[in-house]
Amino acid sequence: MNHSFEIVGIRAQEVKQIKQRRRYLSGLPWPALLVLAIMILGCLAVPWLGVRDPAFMDMANYNRPPDMEFLFGTDTMGRDVFSCIWHGGRVSIFIGLAATVLSTFIAVVYGALSGMAPVWLDDLLMRLTEILLSIPSLLLVILLLACMGKPNVFSIALVIGLTSWLAIAKVVRTEVRQLAEADFIAAARIMGGGTFYILRKHLLPNFLASIMFMVVMNVRSAIVYESTLSFMGLGLPLSVISWGSMLSLSEKALLTDAWWIILIPGVFLATLLLSLTSIGNYLRKEVNRKESNL
Amino acid sequence: MKKNKMICSIGQKTLVFCASIFLLSIFVFFVARLAPGDPLEAYYGDRVERMSVQERMRAEMRLGLHDPIAVQYGRWLENAAAGDFGISYKYKMPVEEVIESRVQNTLLLGGLGFLLIFGGALLLGIFCTWQEGKWLDRLICQVGTITCAIPEFWLALVLILVFSVELRLLPSSGAYDVGGSGSIGDRAVHLVLPMTAVVVNHLWYYAYMIRNKMLEEVREEYILLAKAKGLGRERILLVHALRNVLPSYLSLMAISVPHILGGTYVVEAVFSYPGIGTLFYESARFQDYNLLMLICLLSGAVVILSNLLAQGINEAIDPRMRSTAFVEKNQEVKS
Repeated sequence: MNHSFEIVGIRAQEVKQIKQRRRYLSGLPWPALLVLAIMILGCLAVPWLGVRDPAFMDMANYNRPPDMEFLFGTDTMGRDVFSCIWHGGRVSIFIGLAATVLSTFIAVVYGALSGMAPVWLDDLLMRLTEILLSIPSLLLVILLLACMGKPNVFSIALVIGLTSWLAIAKVVRTEVRQLAEADFIAAARIMGGGTFYILRKHLLPNFLASIMFMVVMNVRSAIVYESTLSFMGLGLPLSVISWGSMLSLSEKALLTDAWWIILIPGVFLATLLLSLTSIGNYLRKEVNRKESNL
Repeated sequence: MKKNKMICSIGQKTLVFCASIFLLSIFVFFVARLAPGDPLEAYYGDRVERMSVQERMRAEMRLGLHDPIAVQYGRWLENAAAGDFGISYKYKMPVEEVIESRVQNTLLLGGLGFLLIFGGALLLGIFCTWQEGKWLDRLICQVGTITCAIPEFWLALVLILVFSVELRLLPSSGAYDVGGSGSIGDRAVHLVLPMTAVVVNHLWYYAYMIRNKMLEEVREEYILLAKAKGLGRERILLVHALRNVLPSYLSLMAISVPHILGGTYVVEAVFSYPGIGTLFYESARFQDYNLLMLICLLSGAVVILSNLLAQGINEAIDPRMRSTAFVEKNQEVKS
């Protein structure tokens, strides 16, 4: 045995087990997932729930406070709020999802191209996103929406999707810049993989975790945009029922003291957003957990 | 040498600023004119429908609306360079005057809100780090997440419903009483609800970021060293950890400007608070091009300026951020 050097006087150190692998599925934000599941199921199943026709205007019973017949009351035009909630939820959630799918797609493609491009092009592309980011996004949404003519569900989803990819694109670009140097990317390239093949097979799985949080938050902000726009009369018209357009009756509701017209759609909206936020926070927290040194 | 570098950096930033504003103006100009609405409606109101074709032509000619968009843009640019941003079609006044009459209201709401948000968020974030994992921290986190999830306009509505309609405590709209003198007390009373809506909605978002940053920082080795040296918790947290968090907080403040500005605009619209936000919705709805243009440019300028400012502050605090040379060098080392 070779005793060329010897370590003297080191105290045996206890190795701290920082994180034990937690059991599968434990620690998930269950309440949030449950609420989300109930809302989505409720909205999907609404044609079979036997609720009233949401568009039917019951002139004999307008502005009725919640009671046994109308669980959530009726609005100023005599529509059943309970039925409107579930039908409106479909529209709100659809816009949230559609806009996010679109914006994530644009962000991944744009970010990856910028990340793999030569430096000057990368600089140019990133400057462009910075300029676009400098317009308050609500202004941008309103401007673009004005171009589309009469807003409908698809045009709103399109506009929100087109305006909310910038932040994700920047993250994707940073991640891709770091990954693009890696040997496995070079290997894939040498073996003849095209840009999109590499993006899909090698890059996407590596940066997906870091954008998941932002993607979930994008669903959230898309829903907020839709409801804000519709509330202000710039989005969906009253005849297309969504949670936002239901809230656009609130000015009349304030005058007649009809609290249920304001509170009920808002509570549903806030609950949905809250559960999305906690799912997003869970995804973000999963990235790293360490012991405090303080 | 050092001075030269600074001048160079300032020059570069000015250039970026001008280029950004120029691109922004092109973008907004073209997008706004592609919209299908009729700007004559903003100018003439309902009379537009009764106008004959000739009258329409003449009106468009007079307002310069019949030229190709590029020509219109050139003319706008020429006038804007001379300080003339055109007249508002709706108010029949130079747009600068229209904005001037509203801008102080927005500055008051947005500026004060901004200070409250970031002062409060810093305190709240530090407090939560201090209490990490204890019940108070968890309670604040829960409450904060809930307030953050509530959409701004709905929060404003609920505030109106509770404090103006039910309790009749506070006014629901405007910046001062109609016919009133607009005294400080009167303004303050009108400011309470919009301000609450703006602050409550954003406060936790930034407090949570501070908390996360601080928690990350607290897990660094140097904190352990400071602790081993015998420093107290307050000192470690407020002097050592906070110093490393502040630069990113400053840039966060700058990045947040568009968010808070947008939020202020929404709240203004709900409270019909006579500020830039309300003006923006009007101008977008009535195709009041010149007004729309100047508002977008002003908002954009504020945001771009604060971004550049943040960069400058960061560079001054952390020399590593000076230019991309450092980053590139690092990348070279890595490859």
